[in-house]
Amino acid sequence: MSAVLETLDDRLIVPSNAARGGAIQIDDVVKIYDPDGAAVMAVDHCTLDIPAGEICMIVGPSGCGKTTLLNAIAGFHSITSGTIRMDGEVLCSPEKPKADPGADRIVVFQNGALFPWKTNLENVAFGPLMQGKMGKKEIYEKARSMMADAGLSGTEHNYPGEVSSGLRRRVEIVRALMNEPKVLLFDEPYRALDSLTRSVMHEALLDIYYKNKVTIFFITHDLEEAIFLGHRLVIMTSRPCRPKKILEVDIPHPRDYSVLTSPRFREILEETSDAVHEEARKSFAAGEKEG
Amino acid sequence: MEQLDVLLKSAAPFRMAPDDFISKITGLSRRVTFNAGDVVYKIGDPARNIYIVASGSVRHSLGDASQSHNPDRTMRSGDVFGWASVLEGSRRHLATTTCLERTEVVVIDGESMINLFRKFPAIGNAVMGGFAAMIRQDFSLPKEAEHVYRIANQEIIQGEKETAVLTGFGLMMYRVSEWLKSPKPYLMMIGFTLFLGFWYLTVEVWKLPRFQDMPGLTTVVSEYLSRDPIYGMSIYTPEYYQHIWVSIRRVAIAFLLATALGVPLGLFLGWSRTFREYVFPIFELLRPIPILAWVPLAILMFSGSETPVIFLTFLASFFATALNTMLGVESIDESYTRAAACLGASRWQVFKEVIVPGSLPFVFTGLQISVGVAWFSLVAGEMVSGQYGLGYVINTSYTMVRYPTIIIGMVTLGVVGYVTSAMVRVLGDYLMQWRVREESIGGR
Amino acid sequence: MSAKRWKAALYGRGTRRAVISIIVFLVLWELGSRSEAWLGTRLPWIGNVPPPSSVMVAWGALLGDAGYWTSWYLSTMRVMSGFIAAMVIGIPLGLLMAVSRAFYGITFPTFEILRPIPPLAWVPAAIIFWPTQELSIAFVTFLGAFFTIVINVLGGAKSIDIRFFQSAQAMGSSKWDIFRRVVLPATVPSIVVGSSVGMGITWNVVVAAEMISGGGGGGGGGSGGGLGFFIWNSYVGGSYDQIVVGMISIGIAGYACSELLRGMGGFFTPWLRTR
Repeated sequence: MSAVLETLDDRLIVPSNAARGGAIQIDDVVKIYDPDGAAVMAVDHCTLDIPAGEICMIVGPSGCGKTTLLNAIAGFHSITSGTIRMDGEVLCSPEKPKADPGADRIVVFQNGALFPWKTNLENVAFGPLMQGKMGKKEIYEKARSMMADAGLSGTEHNYPGEVSSGLRRRVEIVRALMNEPKVLLFDEPYRALDSLTRSVMHEALLDIYYKNKVTIFFITHDLEEAIFLGHRLVIMTSRPCRPKKILEVDIPHPRDYSVLTSPRFREILEETSDAVHEEARKSFAAGEKEG
Repeated sequence: MEQLDVLLKSAAPFRMAPDDFISKITGLSRRVTFNAGDVVYKIGDPARNIYIVASGSVRHSLGDASQSHNPDRTMRSGDVFGWASVLEGSRRHLATTTCLERTEVVVIDGESMINLFRKFPAIGNAVMGGFAAMIRQDFSLPKEAEHVYRIANQEIIQGEKETAVLTGFGLMMYRVSEWLKSPKPYLMMIGFTLFLGFWYLTVEVWKLPRFQDMPGLTTVVSEYLSRDPIYGMSIYTPEYYQHIWVSIRRVAIAFLLATALGVPLGLFLGWSRTFREYVFPIFELLRPIPILAWVPLAILMFSGSETPVIFLTFLASFFATALNTMLGVESIDESYTRAAACLGASRWQVFKEVIVPGSLPFVFTGLQISVGVAWFSLVAGEMVSGQYGLGYVINTSYTMVRYPTIIIGMVTLGVVGYVTSAMVRVLGDYLMQWRVREESIGGR
Repeated sequence: MSAKRWKAALYGRGTRRAVISIIVFLVLWELGSRSEAWLGTRLPWIGNVPPPSSVMVAWGALLGDAGYWTSWYLSTMRVMSGFIAAMVIGIPLGLLMAVSRAFYGITFPTFEILRPIPPLAWVPAAIIFWPTQELSIAFVTFLGAFFTIVINVLGGAKSIDIRFFQSAQAMGSSKWDIFRRVVLPATVPSIVVGSSVGMGITWNVVVAAEMISGGGGGGGGGSGGGLGFFIWNSYVGGSYDQIVVGMISIGIAGYACSELLRGMGGFFTPWLRTR
């Protein structure tokens, strides 16, 4: 597993990944919704830099607008003003309010979006098959080997509805990775899982990260999850959202489960939980509906 | 056998089982004594029993083929071996076990134990889970060896992979046997008897005022089954089948046409907002007009007597199919289309790979409704302006005062209608294997 | 919906496009119907349909005719009475089937066997049985809606999340309470949906029955008449424009009834209105 990487310093790996790219610059972005004529601001002049190859955790109360930000990066929603760039290239701006969805920024959805009518293998192979850049045989071979890498052999011919949700999540991540994306966008993917499965998924995610070094933009409401996984922690205010506090998590990678009880983990948790709790209280008082 | 119970309970897989269950297992067991150096079994021997060490010690050596990190182990009191007899597929021992000293073991027949688990699936489940955990932890075998025996229709999850599913014929047989054991078939019989009894009594026995002129149950049945029916129609007359065939043919043509036109229309209506904004208003303007109000217009528009009937049937099916297909497209969670877009699919590919398969469940519901509606319109159409066909039969039987034939016609209609609807449903199940499997596991 | 929403809907792109297509549709219809005049040959199918212009003229003439409005009244009355009867018997029956396993086991199989028989196939049997024609039409109308309503009630009851029952029981509700406060409200949406479909079937049956039974000219204890009869009569009498008028009238009447039902259903289910 991560045995090979255990002895390598995390920092050594980053420079070689810079070539892969995936740095995201969010510049003074505003998003205003207009249902029934009552303007609702979801994102309030948000500026954020996400370096390439890092795991950036976005923490905030439910309904604060962080999903809107993710959707803007992915190209599902338009923005009202501001610019979002990836590696210097403009994804969306006032001239082009909605980015084009693409295989360089793939989303892993909250409730899972594996196609129920395709087998796990067919799901994993979907991206490259659609893009048509590789031969069919090649694609399926690569799919099988990537699934085996992630410990999923034997489930290729099951339908997503037949297997557990933890397994489904992993298949979804492999499906994304098949396309060698620059950025993976996670929208509270483990929210619906029980905490035991979740802890296994965290280790699995880190394992995948160490092997692939994509940029990860991960939304969660769970502070411990955020500190455990991330290089960088961005705490968002309640709606409309803006970065309230940004923190570098200086616990060295590769990390494993023992990190959760380490003193440094506890320290960071203490530093940040006040800020998170304050925003959560505000959101609760305002009666926000989860987005 | 108290001592045995305690021993069993101390063994890893059985710790969670309740005491009375433990007694049942020990009831299946026997004790055997070995001397030092005796081989209990070798690799490749047929696996029939599970062994628990009562006293003494046994060396348990997994072969090279197992790729275990930990091939040699010494078993002592309370340890369990011989668990190959609960593995799915292999049923041959994976290790050689040799006694290191004078040893007493408790032997349990694997098959009997599995049968006991079948009778108490919840507990059996737990014990199997215990076996799986033990095999994984204590013997650290690679995953391929860690298949735990499947207990019918129960889910035993090892890692996250194994699910126990009966599909196809096996599932059907299981369901049939469950149905027979429940009170359902008997209640059903009571219902039928009440209904038929009511019919028989009111018409033929008590001869109640209103019911007098109705055809009675025995009249209808004897007419139906007679070789020389008084009113000219029974299962022995060729006309009967001619009429059925004519009706079926009309419904088939209309239904297929309606599906061929309705499904694509529905898909586009759901998929393209532009298309919907132009076309849907007209669709919604025409839909509220009852199909039968079209009868005179249809007669005007189409020549002959066959085409108007088929047109009416077609129209009814068409509206139902198109509407349900459109709803099907709208029901698709937008995450799916978004995911496909993320993964690099073009608009057309999204349509083909996501929209079409995703809307199939609704489409098939719509098709079942469509078949029902088709029969409805067909009968009306045949009653008004047709020759041959079951609707025609019913109408003319009335005018010609052949009352039992009316009932025969009605019942035939019911049966044929049900069968065609079931055929559509079966086709749907076949095309949507993923749904069938998902439901048989989730099971509402 | 707020005022702004209404305005947007009225003047929006959706309405514009709808209007455009309807106009195009009418123009094509007009041209097709009059094809004999300007093309020389009659187009198949469309050529035989009366053109919208003459339909409008005929309709204008009918608006002053008392007989026309009587037809409306008769048909609507038949539909509503048959439908309400179906609800009065069907909803309690459906609920009983949903609540009692034994009752369900006895009645459902018989119900399911009778259901595929198209309501119109019952017409002759109904005529034999019931003394007046009106009653037989009412009976068949009742049947049409009855099956759909019961199925929908069952569907609604079956889909009630079991946790509602559990929380009600945990809070100490009696069986009657649970029925009144959990089962009933949860099935109302299903009943409403079922009613809309049932309404469509009911209209179909009424129209057909009116056509088949041939009318009888408005005499004989109120039997006969109605919009279905009106259409058939127009056909027989050769006033083809009136056929289309009749069709459109029924369409409007049917739509109005469905909307009425939906509105009433919405009244009983305020919790569904929030989104």
